[in-house]
Amino acid sequence: MQYRQVQTIRGTFNSALRALTTDKRGLLYAAGDSQIQVFDAAGHLKRRWPTARPPHSVAVADDGSVYVGQEGQIEIFDGPAWRNPELLGRVTAIGFTKDGVLAADAVGRAIRRFDRGGKFLNNIGDNNPVKGFLVPNGVLDFAVDAQAVIWAANPGKHRVERYSPAGELLGHIGRFDGIDPAGFTGCCNPTNVAVGDRLYVTEKAVPRAKAYDFDGRLLSVIAGDVFDPNVKNMSVAAAPGGRVYVVDTVKLAILAFEPVAS
Amino acid sequence: MSDLTRRDLLGTAIRGSVLAAMGGGALFLVRKANGQVVWQVDAARCINSRLGEVGVEACNLCTTECVVALSAVRAVNEYAKCGRCNICPAYFNITSPVNALGQPSEKLCPRDAILRKPIGKVDPEDPANNFYEYVIDESKCDGCGKCVMKCKDPLGLGSIVLKVRYDLCLNCNRCTISEKCPQDALRQLSVGQALG
Repeated sequence: MQYRQVQTIRGTFNSALRALTTDKRGLLYAAGDSQIQVFDAAGHLKRRWPTARPPHSVAVADDGSVYVGQEGQIEIFDGPAWRNPELLGRVTAIGFTKDGVLAADAVGRAIRRFDRGGKFLNNIGDNNPVKGFLVPNGVLDFAVDAQAVIWAANPGKHRVERYSPAGELLGHIGRFDGIDPAGFTGCCNPTNVAVGDRLYVTEKAVPRAKAYDFDGRLLSVIAGDVFDPNVKNMSVAAAPGGRVYVVDTVKLAILAFEPVAS
Repeated sequence: MSDLTRRDLLGTAIRGSVLAAMGGGALFLVRKANGQVVWQVDAARCINSRLGEVGVEACNLCTTECVVALSAVRAVNEYAKCGRCNICPAYFNITSPVNALGQPSEKLCPRDAILRKPIGKVDPEDPANNFYEYVIDESKCDGCGKCVMKCKDPLGLGSIVLKVRYDLCLNCNRCTISEKCPQDALRQLSVGQALG
């Protein structure tokens, strides 16, 4: 299975481009500097607006509300921000279940689960001997599939772990390997994860984006050389039709890839 | 001796006592005080630690050019920055074959100068379920920079850097490493700057 790059979206970010997500209409939301920018599938900028603090993550709920993860809070457009420096140290990923909101706290090294009103329910991923995810890269990323299974990157363990919303570890895929591309290399990979019709991950040093099936079999190295060699924590988002968006955090660009028909 | 001179002497003694308590390196610096300068590696210039330099071989001029046995430049792990990773690219040769424990089978350091110690209780079923401390054995380290290059961001966190050890450095007027370093990374600092 092969992918080809079909687009480069540059936006108007000046110093930082950190996170991506797509909504159910196929719009692409990018978070960086102190703003959100929204692009259509052709890469045209449709909207932009400022955020209260520099964003580290962005997610769109089913009702269209946009949640933006920041240091100490989640800013909701439009609604009151959820401020909680203890549980939301640095929110580097946000996701949704049917009745809840999940926020990755990279400082606390755990995923926080809230109800839709912002009431804290439970932690995910902190019930282990190292008391959380191993994220020396400074970003904790996860994605939620259609069955409400949480796929969380645990780069220090070279795994993507599966959790229930209640925090039960259901299993994992992945292993260290510095040669075989099916494995994850370096000190801490994969750094980012997305779920669509497949499982997508990104790695740093050497940077690459890869696709796996849900049993952990490598399907494709989507791309590698196109990224700046110093890039890390490349946010990845899946769109309908198998399209994959990946952030190059050094070039401040979003690269779009699509599978090549065999 | 005037009163002013006595006050200066007392002040110097107190400052010296405080600095001595800061450790051996500081003690040597105090001995080298009175306006002297010392050599130190500028991490922002050294190609082994300078951000942005990826895919290049480590420079070992600090090993080959220093007149001190092994070298007065040694690798130092700044623990506050260290990720305490299970698989440290500065400790393991991460492109060597994977062993039965799921780890690289070879170490990176040619002198085996890095010690890897688990922190706390090891999970026997899962060695990844732990933090690890990495300690440089300075009696073995010759400052070759291989570990520094592999610890550098984005592969690592940049916690391992090369430092001139003041207790080893002869403080030559014309440092032989400095004369050869293409990055001009060996810099002369005043004692005050070196103490930071």
